[in-house]
Amino acid sequence: MRAVVAEDLALLRDGLVRLLEAHGVEVIAALDDGPSILPALLEHRPDVAVLDVRMPPTFTNEGLVAAIEARRQVPALPVLVLSQYVEPLYARELLADGTGAVGYLLKDRVMDVGEFVDAVRRVAAGGTVMDPDVVARLLDRRSSGGPVDRLTPREREVLALVAEGRSNAAVASALVVSEKAVSKHIANILQKLDLPPSNDDNRRVLAVLAYLDA
Amino acid sequence: MRPPHPSATARAVLALVATVWLCTTVAWAVTGAGYYWPGWVVLSLVTPVLLGGSVLVARRRSERRALTFQVALSVSVGLVVTGVWALTGGDYFWPVWVYLGLAVALAAHVWVVPLLTPGRERELQEQVTTLTEARRRALEFQAAELQRVERDLHDGAQARLVSVGMTLGMAEITLADDPGEAGRLLAEARATVGDALADLRGLVRGILPPVLADRGLDGAVDALALSVPMPVTVAIDLDGAALSPPAESAAYFAVAEALANVVKHSGARSVAIRIACTDDTVSMEVEDDGVGGADPSVGTGLAGIARRLEALDGSVRLSSPPGGPTVVHMEVPCEPSSLKTSPS
Repeated sequence: MRAVVAEDLALLRDGLVRLLEAHGVEVIAALDDGPSILPALLEHRPDVAVLDVRMPPTFTNEGLVAAIEARRQVPALPVLVLSQYVEPLYARELLADGTGAVGYLLKDRVMDVGEFVDAVRRVAAGGTVMDPDVVARLLDRRSSGGPVDRLTPREREVLALVAEGRSNAAVASALVVSEKAVSKHIANILQKLDLPPSNDDNRRVLAVLAYLDA
Repeated sequence: MRPPHPSATARAVLALVATVWLCTTVAWAVTGAGYYWPGWVVLSLVTPVLLGGSVLVARRRSERRALTFQVALSVSVGLVVTGVWALTGGDYFWPVWVYLGLAVALAAHVWVVPLLTPGRERELQEQVTTLTEARRRALEFQAAELQRVERDLHDGAQARLVSVGMTLGMAEITLADDPGEAGRLLAEARATVGDALADLRGLVRGILPPVLADRGLDGAVDALALSVPMPVTVAIDLDGAALSPPAESAAYFAVAEALANVVKHSGARSVAIRIACTDDTVSMEVEDDGVGGADPSVGTGLAGIARRLEALDGSVRLSSPPGGPTVVHMEVPCEPSSLKTSPS
């Protein structure tokens, strides 16, 4: 798997590169400023891009802007956006094209190396990965008298994990239940939220996120 | 009330003097054109006009300078008059009348003029008092904020990092004898680092929300609206107005606090945020359809907004009749946009 990494802080950039390469990901370019991201992505067409949101020269959100622009020019180019903080507004912008192959995570998540590498692989494979923090905030907002309130606590947990982009198997192992039980929960959730049943993991994540963000 | 323009006043006075001169001259001619007495009449008019005029001109610079100028002028005139009296024989001491006139004029300047024209100086005095008070509050606010940041760092991230260091130290010691326990300690250290990062994020959000730094007030208010668990309509028209960073930050926190109050207390089903820009003011309105009857003296939220906005010459108004709607109207000054100031 070939990856492009963009992170302006050398300490974190080197750490990311080392971490990815230790897990069999080839880092073909490690960038340290915003303007070089788009040309590099268009030139290398990597299997996945791991981009920091805040980069020089303006130190605002050039990583995010570059990700969105690159995906406009190369639809569904896999991009995982990392940030010191997450903002549902930015999640909405990243998800707006509805194609998947996108991830948005707090930098903190890098500390759980196994989870992080898994997220990189899921995005590269066309999946959607959303930070638990964003999901929690979306859920909070939707929990005042709407259909989300009619979910059981267990169903809420399942919904959060699904919205984070986990497969049935991953949800099952996270909650220590059988995959069959997870399938049943998911069917109930989709019915209560009036969402169409779907076996396609990615389409389901996008539908759930769109519902929560509505 | 503004005084008439100085040059208009000067023209009027000159016209008056010219008219008097003309009339007296006509009267002099009609009555036989003997000794030219109208000269004295005009002189008696021109002298106070010149004196008064020159004092007024000096006064435009400052009140103190005008007074000094008039004292100097009075002394000079007094000396000249005394000299004239001495040279012309020194009999009846008529200059005493001139001294009296000059003294009356000076007294008028010192006591009467400030009473008649109190406006500007008193206005400035009031402005200075207001600004001093606002500056004091702003500095107190800043000091309190720094104290809060220091305490949050000390009790939060710093303490957690110390704990991480200790846990790692223990993991190092147990590594050889009990790898399982070392692994558990490492996992604990990692979790505590996560908590420290969360603390720091919370702290940063309270100082300068990153989205405000990234996107400015309109983007940040959009992001705020996304976090409110009810339908929100947002209408922002800043029209290119430039808010100073402190004003932008105060405006953001004001809207955030008002929204938090709506969520906590109003029982509203929907809320509207309106942000508009007039000449030199950004006005922000948060209106909800809740129960109303909000009491600004309960809780510290609204007082906090008021303190922060007033430090920037802004203001807060609350309208919340029982039964609603509740409208919080907030204002903060801004630089008008360059588009607006250039002539069209």
